[in-house]
Amino acid sequence: MKANDISFFERFTDSETFSRLVYHKSVGEMWEAAASYGDRHAIEDKETVLTYSELDVLIKKLRGYCAGKGIVKGDRVGILLPNSADFVKAFFALSGMGVTVAVLPVQLDPGTVFGVSMMFGLKGIVSGCGLEEKLAVAEAKKPGFVKLLSDGEGPETGYDKDVQPDDDCVIMFTGGTTGRSKGALLSHRNIIAGTVFGCYSLKDVFYRRYILCLPLSHVFGLVRNLMCSVYTGSTLCICRNNKDLFADIGAYRPDVLVTVPALVEMALGLSRLFKKNMFGTIEYVICGAAWVPPYLITECGKLGVTIYPGYGLTESANLVSGNPTPAEKPESVGIPYPGQEFKLVDGELWIKGVNIMKGYVGAPEENAIAFTEDGWFKTGDLAKFDEDGYLYITGRTKEIIVLSNGENVSPAEVEAHYDELNYVQDCQLFEDADGDGPHFLHLEIVPRKTELAQFDAETANAKLMEAVNKVTESLPAYQRPQRITVRTSDFERTPAMKIKRYKKFG
Amino acid sequence: MLTREEIAEKLKEILIYQNPGDSERIKKGTEESGLIDYFGLSSVGMIYMIIIIENEFGVSFDNVGMGDFKTLGDVVSYIENAKKQG
Repeated sequence: MKANDISFFERFTDSETFSRLVYHKSVGEMWEAAASYGDRHAIEDKETVLTYSELDVLIKKLRGYCAGKGIVKGDRVGILLPNSADFVKAFFALSGMGVTVAVLPVQLDPGTVFGVSMMFGLKGIVSGCGLEEKLAVAEAKKPGFVKLLSDGEGPETGYDKDVQPDDDCVIMFTGGTTGRSKGALLSHRNIIAGTVFGCYSLKDVFYRRYILCLPLSHVFGLVRNLMCSVYTGSTLCICRNNKDLFADIGAYRPDVLVTVPALVEMALGLSRLFKKNMFGTIEYVICGAAWVPPYLITECGKLGVTIYPGYGLTESANLVSGNPTPAEKPESVGIPYPGQEFKLVDGELWIKGVNIMKGYVGAPEENAIAFTEDGWFKTGDLAKFDEDGYLYITGRTKEIIVLSNGENVSPAEVEAHYDELNYVQDCQLFEDADGDGPHFLHLEIVPRKTELAQFDAETANAKLMEAVNKVTESLPAYQRPQRITVRTSDFERTPAMKIKRYKKFG
Repeated sequence: MLTREEIAEKLKEILIYQNPGDSERIKKGTEESGLIDYFGLSSVGMIYMIIIIENEFGVSFDNVGMGDFKTLGDVVSYIENAKKQG
């Protein structure tokens, strides 16, 4: 089936607003148009305020600096910067040059930064804000590596008008369908489609005030927060530390929050505890990256806040569908955006469209799994449509756990770390909950009794847990099991003797 | 001035507020219990706890990383020291 035509989406706004939602040829062209917002505030980052005109000059100077360092159209260059004005500047400077931007998560250590620069073939990395020290290994080990500073300035240089919609634009990290980290390569057409799609659900989408609390290394932050804000002449207010989110809402007075369900849950809990509406001036919450429980929509509605759930993937430049009428169909992830085709194969949602990535970088095996030979992208999500064309996600075909904060966890990847321990026979990581409480990661372990037999029971348990806790601490926070249970018996097995996996949700 | 035990009990009340379904387990937690592996805090859960602590105890967590706190006792010590320094 095909998604509705563009004209269908006019009903959710007025015709003047709708006529302004144009598809630019490239991100560079989009920024050039955005620069004409002139004296409007593009970014507020504590004491730093940049208008669109001021930011445009800085972007052009950074392009001149990068060109002076030998960066040319077609190169791949990383950005290693926190959420900041410098990130925004670097992103539009590089993408406007026709450079493919690899957005690196700030928590990467220097060795991994080097590894990623090799894996993606990065000519250089733009960094600053104290993170430039993380380029040390890449600088030392990668021949010809170019270290670029985000405050660099050169002759003002405009965008490259020859960049085409299907040219490479961005590489975003993702776990994808198999859970192994890789880079999804998105074109200018993909990014522009994601940006315009994000503007179809809201009635008055121009000149808003967005608060940014998602990492820009996540496609939801990059496309739905940064790109949509800039495209609509809105102001991007930067929250540097999520613990200050509510204080920042008080200070910046934003009206749009783009976030994950866990944070909305937290805002509701704090509102009850402090007897105060913690959303403050927020009118709209764009909520995604994980399933949005319908009660969040109802509870936020009582505080005058409208939650718009949606559905998308890194591989679809963030957006596939958005729900413009959440009060009517709170369980739906909405109406698919135009320019896409869908197919349900054994219940799994397959997509073709203007938003679907070109592929994973340097990963032919992963691409063969993710795409059919005739170009359908297999989402790994089980879905259904209702009679009005609203989409519902009903489960997952893949063994990936999506946490309420939007992080994807591959059980196999985490279990492999514990399986390496001599004291562990087998283990299983799964999503669990106590009653109606929040979901968490639970690891069950079957100890290797032959290895532990040399100790008395108490020492054996202490030895096992010491080793297990060491592994837990070495994992990234989002992969750590929050509960660990040592089993006294083996797992239930399939006829092929594989562990019968628990599946409590989805 | 609150004693360490009183601070720990208040922290457990906060954790139970965040996760009422796990109240029995949280009550049994000690200062040595891990925030992630025992109390089950996620990254957002950690932020949630710190926002409440800042409000309830009047101490700031501005210059510390969330990763600096492994156990309940680590948080108790931080609050105790911050209170002493006034």
